[in-house]
Amino acid sequence: MGLGAALVAILPLIGVVATALGDGQADIALSDLTRYALTSVALSAQVAVLTAVLGVTAAWLVVGHDFPGRRWLSWALALPLAAPAFALAYGYADLFDAAGDLRIWMRGTLGVDMPFEMRSLGGAGLILSLAFYPYVYLAMRAALLNQSSQAIEAARMLGASPTRAFFQVALPMARPALAAGVALAVMETLADYGAVQFLGVQTLTTGVVRAWFVFGSIASAAQIALPLLAFAAVLMWIERMGRSGADHDGGRGRWRPLILQPLPPVKAALATGFCLMLVGLGLVLPLGWMAHTMIDITPEWPRLIAAARHSVGLAIMAALVTVALAALLALGSARHPLAARIASLGYATPGAVMAIGLLIPAAVLWRLVPGSVGGFGLGIALLIYAYAARLMAAAFEPIEAGLTRVTPSVVQASRMLGRSETDTAWAVQLPLARGALFTAALVVFVDVMKELPATLMLRPFNVDTLAVMADNYARDERLANAGWPTLLLVLLALPAVLWLTRKISASRPGEP
Amino acid sequence: MTDRPTLTATGLVRRYGRDAGVHGVDLTLVPGQVTALLGPSGSGKSTLLRLIAGLEAPDAGEIRLGETVLSRPGQAVAPEHRGIGLMFQEHALFPHKTVLGNVTFGLNHLPRVEARERALDLLRSLRLEDRAKAWPSTLSGGEQQRVALARALAREPAVLLMDEPFSGLDASLRAEVRDALTPALRAAGAAVLIVTHDAEDALAMADHLILLDHGEVLQSGTPEACYLRPVSLAAARMLGPVEALPGHADGDAVETPLGRFPRPDGEATGWQLLVRPGDVRLADQGVAATVVARRFAGSGTSVTVETSDPNPYRLTLAHTGPVPAIGQPVFLALEAGHAVIVAI
Repeated sequence: MGLGAALVAILPLIGVVATALGDGQADIALSDLTRYALTSVALSAQVAVLTAVLGVTAAWLVVGHDFPGRRWLSWALALPLAAPAFALAYGYADLFDAAGDLRIWMRGTLGVDMPFEMRSLGGAGLILSLAFYPYVYLAMRAALLNQSSQAIEAARMLGASPTRAFFQVALPMARPALAAGVALAVMETLADYGAVQFLGVQTLTTGVVRAWFVFGSIASAAQIALPLLAFAAVLMWIERMGRSGADHDGGRGRWRPLILQPLPPVKAALATGFCLMLVGLGLVLPLGWMAHTMIDITPEWPRLIAAARHSVGLAIMAALVTVALAALLALGSARHPLAARIASLGYATPGAVMAIGLLIPAAVLWRLVPGSVGGFGLGIALLIYAYAARLMAAAFEPIEAGLTRVTPSVVQASRMLGRSETDTAWAVQLPLARGALFTAALVVFVDVMKELPATLMLRPFNVDTLAVMADNYARDERLANAGWPTLLLVLLALPAVLWLTRKISASRPGEP
Repeated sequence: MTDRPTLTATGLVRRYGRDAGVHGVDLTLVPGQVTALLGPSGSGKSTLLRLIAGLEAPDAGEIRLGETVLSRPGQAVAPEHRGIGLMFQEHALFPHKTVLGNVTFGLNHLPRVEARERALDLLRSLRLEDRAKAWPSTLSGGEQQRVALARALAREPAVLLMDEPFSGLDASLRAEVRDALTPALRAAGAAVLIVTHDAEDALAMADHLILLDHGEVLQSGTPEACYLRPVSLAAARMLGPVEALPGHADGDAVETPLGRFPRPDGEATGWQLLVRPGDVRLADQGVAATVVARRFAGSGTSVTVETSDPNPYRLTLAHTGPVPAIGQPVFLALEAGHAVIVAI
């Protein structure tokens, strides 16, 4: 059963590879492909460096220092995860538009203009970094908290200043977590469609979507998707390595929290300012600006409400299906360790690629089941399938962690009392891991709410989600209209993100 | 060895929660001397060590090294500027650096070549020269121990603090490592403070012993003095099994089930006689008693007897030679000079 769940994740990928290598009429010029790939690499490199700097600095400040607001900033720093990257792109592009009020004022009053445009590779790198730095922040925060304070104290006792202790001991020991966090940020960068498309940056992912929508060629799309898959596999491997290296770094020995370094007033103010700036630039400023511009516009209420219902409905369905599959995978993971590995490849796969992999069977099925009703159900099923395949690994992780806390002897006790394996899972393991199941469901819910490319490509005719609706407006440069679905999306995702980040920031090593 | 300063702590207080912490401790660490701080877990000994290291700040009191004030409330020299070395309980070797990298970590004020030479010298003196390029995770517990010591000694600290240095080692290795480390410690010439909960380690290594409980010093002195002349039942219990027999004052003497002994100076609500298993032996004459239990203990036999007083008392003594049967009447004699009378 666990293997079956893993197959769900891998099948579309096999579809992509088969199509790309097959003899379909693909007519992608190698030069185009190279250009897309180079742009993706350049963008990824920018995001890797910038998220690393921002995320590591924030984590080190919050874990090791005392400054005003430290406690709530330590979870607020993760809140930008509630906003999809395209929301930031809309906000910043509009705020810093060459014909916008701000730039006009700058030119008129200050006599200077912005040194660069948001609608450029550099602008996209900046925006995606602000959206994705929480991945690095969360990974580094956990790693630094997990490090026994002994190593840093030992460095101090050996004459190292706090700065040297950080750069020579704490940071090298947290290298695996840094690699894992950056890998996640880069995965999201490669997968992003909404933001880069809007900013006019042509990456492999926009190439995949264009090949399908503009040229209607699955084969071409699959060929563009192939290098993306390769990148994804490499990133997944880096992320895995990071995770496995994390074990020996915790060090044995009693865990003691790092003693917070008190900061003198000026430095403390700078620390608070830096963290506030991250939350401000990653969430408050772009969304606040969107809220400001949309206030004059009356939304199309019926469309907006329908889109919200579609978004929430799809997210809930996807959460249930994905958690069920991930639970199967986790329960079977002891027997099929490879299955989890396979499923995790799905997580690294951009939604657009996943969709391409599903379009091939979809085309066949649509021909077999004509008629709008059958087509609608099929479309929804394919969409849920794509979400599940992509997010199974994300759901697997908390569930597996929850299940490993159920000690083997408890499971064996149930078996010795005459319960079957399935019975034991229902009656013992899953109830004990119900907190983890809920966490997993929330993770999937938030990600599906924000998802754009797969939804765009697979949704049945006339089923718009909030993300699709925002994207439609943004394509027409009706940004004020795009604000409504975007903000509604963030508001709907925010409670789940809040719950997740509060839970993450409250957790301590050795505790659930 | 150059003249090294003495570390003095006076009136140290560090409060946590209700009664954990340290409540007014004085201590002196003399160069070239090994001081052992013995106490059960939660007695405040690790807190005291962290206060001296500068990893925590005292709520009251003062720590000086020679004439320099290291800590007092509102004023502290940073841990890296104290000239104090600390060996952590779990060694805290840096997993991402080799043995040599660990030992030279604290020597970055020296030219690279010189730092390397000094580190290799130290490793050689601890018989670790062949492990210089090894990663800490590949070392045995005893080797990690010695690397941690080399790392701490490399900076030639004025004071070396060791937190439970032998806790990770199994019993057979423990004595061996302990005996191997002691000469290296003395050769370093630093003032050494060893924090331990193990009485055997403390007695074996220390020139000076401090017994700590509930954040207060119960007794301090040479190991012999602390063992032979405990000031209280609690202090005596820390260093080994002991039994207390009640006594009552009778003029200048204290009457106990094992005889009359001179009454110590000072007032007390009551007195007791402290007896260790080796202090009492079976004799041809003396206090009448009956054997009630016996337990073979390898080198001898542990014999429990009950005095034939109107109020019988039981005590256990270490006995060698023919073992009396249970129920057999015997006579007890206290070794001359081993009578310890303390206030209750």
